[in-house]
Amino acid sequence: MNKEYIVIALTENQIGVLNRITGCYLRRKINIESLKVSESSIKGISMFVISAYTTEEYIDRVVQQIRNIIDVIEARYYTPDELITQEIALYKVSSKMVESNGRIDALSRSLSARIIEFNPAYVVIEKTGTRAEIEQLRDDLQRRGVLQEFTRSGSVVLHRAPLDDLLHDLGENTMA
Amino acid sequence: MANKQKIKGAEALLLSLIEEGTRDMFGYPGGQVIPIYDCLYDYRDRINHILTRHEQGAVHAAQGYARATGRVGVCMATSGPGATNLVTGIADAMLDSTPLVCITGQVPSSMLGTDAFQEADIISMTMPVTKWNYQVTSASEIPRAIAKAFYIARSGRPGPVLIDIAKNAQVEEMDYSYKPCLSLRSYHPTPEIDEEGVRQAVEMINAAERPLILAGQGVVLSGAERSLTEFAEAGHLPVATTLMGISALPSGHPLFVGNLGMHGNVAANAMTQHSDLIVAIGMRFSDRVTGDVQNYAPQAKIIHVDIDRAELGKNIRIDLALHADARTALEAFKVGLKYRERPDWFAFAEQERAVEQKEVFAHTDDPAGRFITMAQVIRNLAEIEKGDAVIVTDVGQNQMFSARYSRFNASRSFITSGGLGTMGFGLPAALGAKVGVPDKEVVAVLGDGGLQMTLQELGTIMQNNIGVKILVLNNSYLGMVRQWQQLFFNRRYSFTELENPDFSAIAAAYRIPARRVTKPEELNGALREMSEAPGAYLLEVAVMPDENVFPMVPAGASLSNLIYHD
Repeated sequence: MNKEYIVIALTENQIGVLNRITGCYLRRKINIESLKVSESSIKGISMFVISAYTTEEYIDRVVQQIRNIIDVIEARYYTPDELITQEIALYKVSSKMVESNGRIDALSRSLSARIIEFNPAYVVIEKTGTRAEIEQLRDDLQRRGVLQEFTRSGSVVLHRAPLDDLLHDLGENTMA
Repeated sequence: MANKQKIKGAEALLLSLIEEGTRDMFGYPGGQVIPIYDCLYDYRDRINHILTRHEQGAVHAAQGYARATGRVGVCMATSGPGATNLVTGIADAMLDSTPLVCITGQVPSSMLGTDAFQEADIISMTMPVTKWNYQVTSASEIPRAIAKAFYIARSGRPGPVLIDIAKNAQVEEMDYSYKPCLSLRSYHPTPEIDEEGVRQAVEMINAAERPLILAGQGVVLSGAERSLTEFAEAGHLPVATTLMGISALPSGHPLFVGNLGMHGNVAANAMTQHSDLIVAIGMRFSDRVTGDVQNYAPQAKIIHVDIDRAELGKNIRIDLALHADARTALEAFKVGLKYRERPDWFAFAEQERAVEQKEVFAHTDDPAGRFITMAQVIRNLAEIEKGDAVIVTDVGQNQMFSARYSRFNASRSFITSGGLGTMGFGLPAALGAKVGVPDKEVVAVLGDGGLQMTLQELGTIMQNNIGVKILVLNNSYLGMVRQWQQLFFNRRYSFTELENPDFSAIAAAYRIPARRVTKPEELNGALREMSEAPGAYLLEVAVMPDENVFPMVPAGASLSNLIYHD
């Protein structure tokens, strides 16, 4: 059965690793929903967070093949409930919205969001939350007919258990 | 080489190759590797560079060399078309775990990405077919890149590595010093064996009534041939080999029950289906070995040993997976192993061998005595060579007949394109093998189709006096496809018939002695003449046009559903 699986991979920060990793999905024709690469808590080591819908059998094989990439230090897969996942999204909405809601701080409070730019033409709202919360606000604004543009970050994740063991062998943990 | 010296990148490359033990390499020059070739001119006494006639020839020759010697094969090509011509061989080496270091030239780094003359993004192109690849853009990177390349190519599950060297890096000066690569923090090629798993495995083997060892190329790659023999003898366990595992155990060994898979031996496949315990060592359960996976080895528990963790459980269900080097595992298995006679099981092997004798071996010659058959050629060749020749095959019927009827005394004696099934592999791989093991008799067994895919390498054989024997089984067809068309496509022989040139005349043009035979009574004399020839020799045998390889497991069918005849 297709489910969302999130792969976390720690790699050497080398050119080409990204292509090799995405190639493992491409070979099995699995579409990547979101992908984020950034430096991990250790200098020189990148952390990949890749979300895709597939079966457990497939993701298990994909992860095995990702691990075989020379520059990959470790890779594992998770279901979303095993991870603390947050996304950031920006919503550009028409300033009519503010007019109808009165005060601007009331608006941000009511959406659990932050206004980061405000002018007569539009308002930019920033919201951090789970994928569901981000999408709910998007749908809500769309229904009200005020959403002009929308962009999101992809998942920022932390494992509920410490990730230390992933990095354990490297002997240069600089988490502190 | 701890002392630093100032030299050009091209020279650093050659010194690094020498540090890694490179004595022979295969290549083809071109615009973006001229500086390397210029330097090679001064190193002719230290590196034997063989100029092939096509880059595909160079990479297949390096493969044949690596497979025959166990050393890393090295090939070189220029940028653009030179590099892209290597890709087939690299993909072949990837699937067959052949250690290669492929050097390609590249446009100067200042011109990368500009569609410069003969620029190809070979790093992107070879990403899915290399174990690792790297683009060098400054001379100072060369020793480290080469050290890593050799380390990665030959450790763990071996494979091809490509190093793309921008032209400016070849001509820049750098401070040279060499340090071999001994480890990488992101790569752990030597797994530690799970002791508990070993204990369980031995217990399962001791308890098994109908055990069968499946030996793959992993046994050869880890140098575990002797361990395999000792393990099998200690437990009195029958051994079958995959196509890539052929010659890991001498063909005449009493515990050897034959080859597995689509055109394997009846006993090996039947024993798979009746076994209660499969012990698979260094093999990957390819679809050509398993047939229908749902009905594969239905009564057996399966122990799978492989150095590549991604292979464990990839294709079939496994009862006990051991992530380990083949030799380590086989040595560990010997401890506590019980010798058991298992007379019924060996009687079953004998009975199935008799089935093959009756259904297949008894019918390999042309009953009318008119045509020579391919089976006959390979069997007679085996008698003449007495198991001492290295047999290098092309792909198709010639390959399957060679696998079925050759005899081998020593490991690394059967060199074939297993995973990728690359036609055109045979001739260049054979010349590469001969360069690697000049004291052995090397016979290329080719079909008329495959020979013509890399025919130009006859020039390489001529120019370098490479004493390789070339045996062409000419049925004027792309025989294996013709066989499928006959059996599964209603005898519609769509584009498989070949009108061939006079191969002896072609060989003569390359000053290679040649002979063509057509009648069964001429065969043995001609084979003997080939075998006794001091240098290269081409023997063309015109064989029965519609001979098929049997037995056969149709693609996707269960191993229990063998076809024995048309």
